[in-house]
Amino acid sequence: MAEEKLDAQDFDVDDPMAVEREEPKKRFMTFRSSSEIYGISLDNVHEIIGLQQYTSVPETEDYIMGLINLRGKVIPIIDVRIRFGKEPLEYNDRTSVIVIQVKDTVIGLIVDGIEGVVDIREKEILPPPSVSSLKSQAQKYVFGIGKVNSEVKLLLDPEKLIYDVDEENISEEEEED
Amino acid sequence: MADDMITEGMLDMFIFETEQGLENLENICLESKDVGEFDDDHVNGIFRIMHTIKGASAVMMYQNITTLSHKLEDVFYYIRESHPEEIPHAELLDYIFEVSDFIAGELEKIKEGAESDGNADNLIEQLDKYLKKIQGKGGGDAASAQKAAAPEQTSAPAEKPHFYIAPVASDASRFYTIDITYAKDTDMANIKAYIAVNALKGIAEDILFTPADIISNPDSSNVIMEFGFKIALQTVEEADHIMELVSNAGSGIEHVEINECTSEDFIAFCTEVESPISSAGEVLTAPVEQPTVRVETQKPKSIVLTDEEQEKEAEKDAAPAAKKAPVKKKPPAKKGETQSFISVNIKKMDLLMNLIGELVIAQAVVLQNPDLKVPGLDLTNFQKAAMQLSKITSELQDAIMAMRMMPLKNTFQKMNRIVYDTSKKLGKDIELEVIGEDTEVDKNIIEHISDPLMHMIRNSVDHGIESNEDRQAAGKTEKGKIVLEAKNEGGQVWISVADNGKGLRREEILAKAKANGLLGNRSEKDLSDKEVYNFITLPGFSTKKKVTEYSGRGVGMDVVVKSIQDVGGVLDIESEEGLGSTMTMKIPLTLAIIDGIIFSVSGTNFVAETNGVTEFIRGSKDHLVVEPDGEEYFMIREDCYPLIRLNRFYHLENGKDELEDGIVIILNHEDRKIAVFVDELVGEQEIVVKPMPGYIKQVRGISGCTQLGDGSISLILDSGGLLSY
Repeated sequence: MAEEKLDAQDFDVDDPMAVEREEPKKRFMTFRSSSEIYGISLDNVHEIIGLQQYTSVPETEDYIMGLINLRGKVIPIIDVRIRFGKEPLEYNDRTSVIVIQVKDTVIGLIVDGIEGVVDIREKEILPPPSVSSLKSQAQKYVFGIGKVNSEVKLLLDPEKLIYDVDEENISEEEEED
Repeated sequence: MADDMITEGMLDMFIFETEQGLENLENICLESKDVGEFDDDHVNGIFRIMHTIKGASAVMMYQNITTLSHKLEDVFYYIRESHPEEIPHAELLDYIFEVSDFIAGELEKIKEGAESDGNADNLIEQLDKYLKKIQGKGGGDAASAQKAAAPEQTSAPAEKPHFYIAPVASDASRFYTIDITYAKDTDMANIKAYIAVNALKGIAEDILFTPADIISNPDSSNVIMEFGFKIALQTVEEADHIMELVSNAGSGIEHVEINECTSEDFIAFCTEVESPISSAGEVLTAPVEQPTVRVETQKPKSIVLTDEEQEKEAEKDAAPAAKKAPVKKKPPAKKGETQSFISVNIKKMDLLMNLIGELVIAQAVVLQNPDLKVPGLDLTNFQKAAMQLSKITSELQDAIMAMRMMPLKNTFQKMNRIVYDTSKKLGKDIELEVIGEDTEVDKNIIEHISDPLMHMIRNSVDHGIESNEDRQAAGKTEKGKIVLEAKNEGGQVWISVADNGKGLRREEILAKAKANGLLGNRSEKDLSDKEVYNFITLPGFSTKKKVTEYSGRGVGMDVVVKSIQDVGGVLDIESEEGLGSTMTMKIPLTLAIIDGIIFSVSGTNFVAETNGVTEFIRGSKDHLVVEPDGEEYFMIREDCYPLIRLNRFYHLENGKDELEDGIVIILNHEDRKIAVFVDELVGEQEIVVKPMPGYIKQVRGISGCTQLGDGSISLILDSGGLLSY
């Protein structure tokens, strides 16, 4: 995870204020899950850890894999693949956990692999395509599509990701507060 | 009030001391309410408290508090000096409570940083009237009444010229005179003198000083500068200790002289100070110089009083306080107070406790480290060191727990007032008996149970105990009574509220439960009394037909139960119709660290509280009873417990299916038992309870999680939760 933090440093721009004036950018942590590349705002990301032994909790949603012990703190981890309705993949060396915080909730996302940190200009962030064009369940959690060079990243709304879709309206209301 | 010389520390001290004073005041009042009159100890106690509050608030310049406490002090001064024959006690109590409430209200304002702007004029006027009234009635003792009333009137705006705390004699008492000289350039020597007096009050059985009007008369400062400040002190403490107290009390002290003297000198000093003094000027001339001279000549005497002196002692007691009540309890109580205390921010305590919790886990991680499991490793020395470490951490744990333990006394004392207020408003005659108020409980728990307890008490007063007429009609001769009891019971504290009222009516509760559709498909006969009584703890359930100010809205018992559950406790209700009911809170002593037994089911570790485990049994098919609907029961020694197979219960795969392969744990919760079938036992460990992360929805039968020795997370199985499914 220390390396990842270094990566983030590499992307540091000389003078953020100058960039701000020219072209507002947003910074995203990108990761792979099944065939897509997703991005999640760096503001929400705490750290990245390797997958460690976890304790499953019975009678919870299938995507909640269980609890891990992060330096004495107990945090739940969820599998992004299952969350997006994809087939689960056997965990391997590249499997990582992105620890994110949304409001007071700290949670780990199990992803296939980490890509890196990218800056995306705000004007390059497009609204998500209509329902029909993206067939996966994942589109519910995507708030925009970012273009970096020719690649396309699906930008996730972490709040929608971790709270249930049914609660979407509620969380949006909370956001306005 | 915002004066430069008033520092933050002084304000804190003022608030703290005044609050304590008020608390004592209420206790004295409540103690006496059944007796119907104040005895001399009470009168002196109240007088002293009001005097202290008056003095302190004058220093802090809270004029309203000063005048009000002064007025009440006047009333008690009169009562103490003149012993009026008839004192309308209940009325007086009401005034005292009003005064206490007023001052407490002002303190709240001060604490929040607001101005203390309450107006007590109305109350003062009432107290005035009351004083006149008892003065009018006290005609039988006209002479002394007049004598007592005289200084009252002259001193109205300022401090009374003298005050005198009734002496409490004890055999070990010694008498001292203390001369304090202040450095030449000292400002406000009167305030400094007052600080010194305050410092000595803690150890004093009796204290007198001159000039006596140090608070109210700024000129007394000059007097002190010129002639020194003289104190006569009766105490059991050594001179060294007094010296220490005085030297630490305020700056500018140039010289302190402490001389032990006889009781006669002491009395001489008293009488001189006692003698009515109209101006400070008179005090500082002849009368004061004289006794101090005499003291020089008469050097320390033995502690044991001669017969003659004891007589004097008795006389002295008799003189100012007339029929002094037999001396009791006071000296040992004083000794208890010599313990020193330090107040610590509760956050720091919490931090320390959390750290110790982490330490316990870290220790388990080290001592159970897999690296140690290499075969053939000689660990003798390691084990020795490990044992030492375990011993220290467990002592550390006990110490922090003991630190957080507080007696229930304060909480219980508040209940006194509630019973008094509520029963008075409802016109019921109720007494409260408190048992085991010294029982100690974790501070966190005390905070959680204070409100529920208040509610239960109100419930008992309002619902439980019948009105006086109803009681008579029911042929109950004894007075309405509530017994508040606390006791330790095997790792738990039981706090019960028992009343001798009408009890719970099973039929009424059942009818209401039926109307609310709470019975489900069960017939009335199926329900045990306990189950019926538990209906009253459901939200929105109240059988009280009329909603009163205190209870009957049906919000309450559910909140009570919720608060108790928050601290891991349960509420037990027992009742007998017509005879009364008893509600018992059963609460664990501490929340944080418990002993747990670890077992695994299909690779997942679970923990159960050791206290909740009755036994482990290697079962077999013979023990199994299967009902037609598939429900399984575990039979052992003629007892039959419902069996839960944890793997099926939680839909875990790969769990053991044959009873012979796994093990059955009998868990108990209150007086119910349940058999739980698990794969294997893993071990025993002290565990630190952590709540489940909020993101995970409540899972049935799981109350929290914890970290095991290997760093992995384990789920805590809650037998109470399992039983309710």
